[in-house]
This record gives sequence, structure tokens and C-alpha cells, in this order.
Amino acid sequence: MESTSSPPPQRRTFLLVLAGGLAGLLAAASAWPLLRFLAPAAGGGAGERVAVPRSSVQPGVAHFFQFRGKPAVLVQSRSGEYQALSAVCTHLGCVVQWQAEKGEFLCPCHGGRFAPTGNVISGPPPRPLETLPVSVDGNQLRIG
Amino acid sequence: MKRGLLFVSVALFWLLPVGLALAAEMPETVCLQCHGGQAGPLGAPVKAWQGSVHQRNGIFCHDCHGGDPADFANAMSPARGFVGAPEHAAVPEFCGRCHVGVLADYRESLHGVKLAQGGAQCVTCHGSHAVKETSLELINEQSCTRCHDYGRAAQIKTALAETDARFAGFGEELERLKKLGVSVAAAKGALFDLRNRYHRVFHSFNVEKVRAETGRIASELEKLRNEVAGHDARFSQRKLWGGIVIGLLLVLGVVLLQVRHTYEEEERDR
Amino acid sequence: MRLVNLLIDFVDRRLGVREIFARELQGYLLPRNVNAWYTLGAVLITLFSLQILTGILLLIYYVPHADQAFASVQRITNEIPYGWLIRMLHAVGANVIVIALLLHMLSVLFMAGYKGRRELTWLSGFILFNLSMGLCLTGYLLPWSQLSFWATTVATEAPGAVPIVGDLIVEFLRGGATVGNQTLGRFFALHVVGMPLALLGLIGLHLFCVKRRGISPPPFGADYRRSELPDTFVYEKHPGGIPFFPNYVVKDAAVICFFLALLLGIIFFAPGLFFPPSAFDPADPFVTPPGIKPEWYFLWAYQTLKIFPSELIGLGVQGAFMTFLALLPFIDRGPERRPARRPIFVTVFFLTLLIFLGISVWGHYS
Repeated sequence: MESTSSPPPQRRTFLLVLAGGLAGLLAAASAWPLLRFLAPAAGGGAGERVAVPRSSVQPGVAHFFQFRGKPAVLVQSRSGEYQALSAVCTHLGCVVQWQAEKGEFLCPCHGGRFAPTGNVISGPPPRPLETLPVSVDGNQLRIG
Repeated sequence: MKRGLLFVSVALFWLLPVGLALAAEMPETVCLQCHGGQAGPLGAPVKAWQGSVHQRNGIFCHDCHGGDPADFANAMSPARGFVGAPEHAAVPEFCGRCHVGVLADYRESLHGVKLAQGGAQCVTCHGSHAVKETSLELINEQSCTRCHDYGRAAQIKTALAETDARFAGFGEELERLKKLGVSVAAAKGALFDLRNRYHRVFHSFNVEKVRAETGRIASELEKLRNEVAGHDARFSQRKLWGGIVIGLLLVLGVVLLQVRHTYEEEERDR
Repeated sequence: MRLVNLLIDFVDRRLGVREIFARELQGYLLPRNVNAWYTLGAVLITLFSLQILTGILLLIYYVPHADQAFASVQRITNEIPYGWLIRMLHAVGANVIVIALLLHMLSVLFMAGYKGRRELTWLSGFILFNLSMGLCLTGYLLPWSQLSFWATTVATEAPGAVPIVGDLIVEFLRGGATVGNQTLGRFFALHVVGMPLALLGLIGLHLFCVKRRGISPPPFGADYRRSELPDTFVYEKHPGGIPFFPNYVVKDAAVICFFLALLLGIIFFAPGLFFPPSAFDPADPFVTPPGIKPEWYFLWAYQTLKIFPSELIGLGVQGAFMTFLALLPFIDRGPERRPARRPIFVTVFFLTLLIFLGISVWGHYS
């Protein structure tokens, strides 16, 4: 770059201003992700809760619903306790089915069987069905 | 002595999974030890089973046939659950102990209804030991015309073909996204479930039922496709912003070098 | 600017910072022909600082337990806003640091920067290099993927070849007979606190050595003169030189920008470069994925162990080489620094470099 017209100090000032501007942009580009990364999650939690009316879950009947985009199921034991489980079989991911006459879950893909508590009775599943937190709120059941 | 034992156990514990993996997950059950060394029809199932989808998922002889896999004396003992090889009409029950959903659909089908009269069952199309992953090619003229004409089978195959291809495509897309760090476990499970529902419904051999289920499955696949597209859109956007920031950095670097240049010039002029 | 001046005045009246600046930065004169390789030190400081920053950020969400580590990293990558960026900066940054480290070491070797009573600088640098490798090794395990688990298994298996105490060493490294949660615990402690503290201390020592002794001039050009070495300590002056601030500060900043551009370029346009597929599967102690091998900067060691018939000999060869490298300033005591007049050294240098590259490539394909 030939120093024809402007003397070095003048050019330098211009360049430094330019560099300062670029650095400012880069600083902003770094600050934004940093702030978003550190900001607390919206909604104060890891996801939304789902409400299901109590009347949909009779004893011996399994109520299937969607929970955070994935299939889930509610069952009520004879003693009146509610159990919320993920309906995704822990073997390879198929959705389990409820066998009303046997009172257990059966996975149609490879015959895995789960108790209403989610525990594995028999078959290939390696782990029990994931339990979801459920609480009673008047005549609603809140999951999550 | 203790150190030697320690060394051996460390080596074994590390070598065992390596060895297992190398031997394609084949611990030697007594079934394999005995039948593996035999010629002719008694040894053929072992070779057929190797490379099968069952072998790759750790399903061994005793998992279907029962018996004790570790004890030669009781390997074929009915007391230990040995059921032997099923007769033609008992095959669906045999396979259906695990493949529950398929059995239910099969029973409703014409093949299932005609089972006692020698109708096709699981082994007829899928084979017994050399079972591969299901593919549309199991439906082919050669296979189906063993008993009847190919017309309806061809119809069903056409109805299935497009969706089947999309399943394969999705599987690859999810693998591609996985390599970019996306958490695809849930999507893979959903895809697996869909594929199984799909393959299962085929066993009813009911064209209308297959078409209806195909329609339902297509809409689920559409949701999956949107999910994949969403990820790809995010990646494109990242590349755009990333490219801009990289450009800014390069320009800044050049500008700084120019600043340096002005100092050098000043010196030269002095 | 008014405000900035006021602030500086405040601190200056209490600590005399302007004088320090004038003396140590403006008064610090370096030769005019200091080349681009000299900027690598500043590049490394920047990259290490970035590692510390991104590391602390990752610590907010990472869980150092075998049951939750992989899932927490997945959460960071997929759910936390820009978590993917922080993670990639950290993981890819580690690799770029190794590249810069190797370039820095090679340029110091070639320009004989370890001569002229700079043995302590070289030694501290050598230990820093090993510490960085240790940081890479311990960090690799933390995501608890298949790659993490099995690469660590292979890497910690190597010392087992040492006679008598080999197995004890392996157990000590792993916290048990096999890689497991106990390994994760100690690797985490080392990676997050132990080694970074040692690193910071040694960087301080290294910089002090450089500054105190004076920068060694590039051994090129017609004006090069060998420096005087009296019996006592002497600072290598460059009286006709140019001040560090602003000349070399600006140059350092420029090369830092280029390295950051490289880092981001890899993250955005070649994100899979340092991530084989097994990096995305959770660790399974019972299934070894095919083709497990260490990261590229360890391939030379991996392949060397495979070449020699006995692992002990392989380890011995590596150990001998590293010892030789560490003690180089004590072995190569000749005063000549110009490569043009050190044909044996230059030949060995390039030959060794080629061998390393060759063995690494071999290790990649074997």
C-alpha cells in the first residue's frame, strides 16, 4: 500500500476508528449469545405442565395423552392413586398398549410387558417406563 | 499372585467387550458349540443365523427355542423351556411370543385364516434362521406365486413402496443430523414405532386397511419431516451468522495489519 | 475517553500504572525483524482464556456423573440457547490450541529460541505442552460418549506395559480397574481445577522467563549477530528496536483475529471435523464401537505403540524421545542459531517432522 496521499497518522486514525467499530460489532456478537446462554429459562422450568380431568382416568382404564410432544399414559390403581408414565417402550421406542383384561402394558413390537407401576414384567425392555410427576388438583390431574 | 490376578481380570474385563465386539457379539452358548460343529441340516441353522437381524440384536437359539444355553445336559430339556422346532401351523404362535402386534394382524388376515390348510406363515416369507431386516423385496412375484397369483400382492406393494422409501430416507436424515450433534433419540424412536406399525399392518393383507394406515402414517411422517427441516433451517441460519462474524474478524485482522503498516511507514519516513 | 482517562488517573496515582506501561510496554524494544511466528504466544494466551471462559460456562449445566454426563451435554447442545456454540468453541478450541502449540514449539525449535540461556523457558514450555495434552485427555472423557469412554480406555491402558508398577499406574489413572464413574470424578477434578491452576502458574513462569531474559532475535538476515554471554545474568537488549506497544500489540491482535476466524470457520462450516459418529452415542461399557482410535494429536503415540513388538519398547521409545526433547537445550549447547549453518539440526528437524506426520497418517488409516 503506497503512502501517496494521506500521511500515516491520519490513515492510522481512520483505520483505528474502523477497527474500533469492527471490534464493537464483534463484542456485541459475542455478548448476545453469552447473555442468552446465561439467562434463566422462560417459564421457570424445563417445560409446560399438562392438566387432565380426573374423570378421564377410571380405575382399570389407561388414558393416553401427549406430554411435551411424546406419548404418555395415566392409570389409576384400585387404591385411588394415580400413576403417570411415559408410554414409550424403553426397548426400542414403540408405543406401549394397555391390556385392560390383564391390567398391564404390552409393547406390540417385541412383546415387552410392563406393570401399571412401569416396572418391566417380562421381555426385552431394559428399564421401567419413565415415571412422570403427577399431582391431584381438585378434579384435575396435573402432570409435569 | 494378586497382581497377576488383577492384571488378568483387568485385561479380561477390557478384552472381553472388545473380543465380544470382534466376534460380532457371539458368546458361545452350548447350542452354538454343538450345532456349530455339525454338518448338514443340524448345523445349517447356525450359519443361517449368523448375520441375521436376530443375531445382531443378541437374540440366540434359546431365546426362541428355549432350553438351557449354558448347560449341555439340559440344553434341550422341556423342563428348562425347550420347545423344539414348531410345526407349520404352530409357527405364528412361536414367533408371536415376541412379535405380538404382527401376530394379531396376521391372525385377521387371509393367510392367517388359511393357516391350517397350509397357508403362508412367518417362515414362508421371512425364513426361519436367516431372518433379515424387513424390506419391501419380501413381496415379490417369485415368492407370492408359489401359491397364488401376484395381482393383489402387487397392489399392496405399490401402496407400500413410496412410504417405505421415505422411511429409509428419514433414517438417513436422522443419522446425518445426529452427526451434527442434534439429539435424535426421540425422533428415532418415533420413526421406529411408525415403521413397525406400518410393517405390522401389512400382515393383514387387507388393501383397504393398509391404505388407511398408510395415510395416517404419512401424516406422522410429515410431522417428522417438518422437524428435520426445522433443524436444517437452524443450521443454515447459523452458517449465515457465522459467516458474517468470520468475515468481520478477517477484515479486522487486515485493518490491524494496515495499522501496523502505518507505523512502519512512519519509521521509514523518519 | 474523558471517563477512561479519569479512571486511569485514579489507578495511576495509587499504583503508578502509567510508568509500568511506559517501561514494560512502550519501553520494551524488540528487533524489527521479529516474524509472524512470534505472535503464537499471544494467540495461545487468547485461546486458553477462551477455554477458561467457555469451560466455566459449560460448568453451569454439565453434570460430572456417569449417569447424567452425556444427557447434560446433549441438553447443552440442544436445549440451552447457544449451548451448541459454547460447547463447540470449547471442543474445537482445544484442537486449535494443539495446532497453535505445535506451530509455536516447531518455530522455537527451528529458530533455536531455546539457546542463549533460555533452558528454563524451554522447560516450562515443555511442561506446558504436556499439561495441555493432559487437559485434552481429561476433557475428552467428560462428555461420556462411546468415543470418550473407549478412547480413554485405550489411552489409560498404555501405561500397563510398564513392568512391576504398570497395573498400579493404570488403576491410579482410572480410579479403579476399569474406566467408570470413578475415572470421571478424578478426570473432572484434574480438568477443571488441578491442571488449569498448574497451567496458569506455568504460563506465568514462562512469560516471566521470556520477558526477563529478553526476546531472542530471529536468526536470519545479514544483520544478525550472536548475543554476548558473560558469566552473570544479562538481559538481551535490542537498543535499535521498535516498541512492543503499539507495533507488536497490533500484530498480535491481527493474528489473533485470524486464528479466531479459523476457529469459527471450523465450527460453522466443518463441525464434524473433530467429531466422529461415536461421539454422539452414550458410553456403553459392553460394546466397543469399531475403529476406535485416539484424537489426531495422539495418533503418533498410538501408532508407535503398534509398531513395536512389545508395548514396553513402544512406551520406552516415546519416553526417550520426549526426554530428549525436554533436555534439548542441555544437549544442543552450540552457540550457533542460524539454520543455514546448522545442517545436521535442520535435517533432523525436518526428518523428525516428516516421520511424525507419516506415523500420524498411518495411525489414522490403520
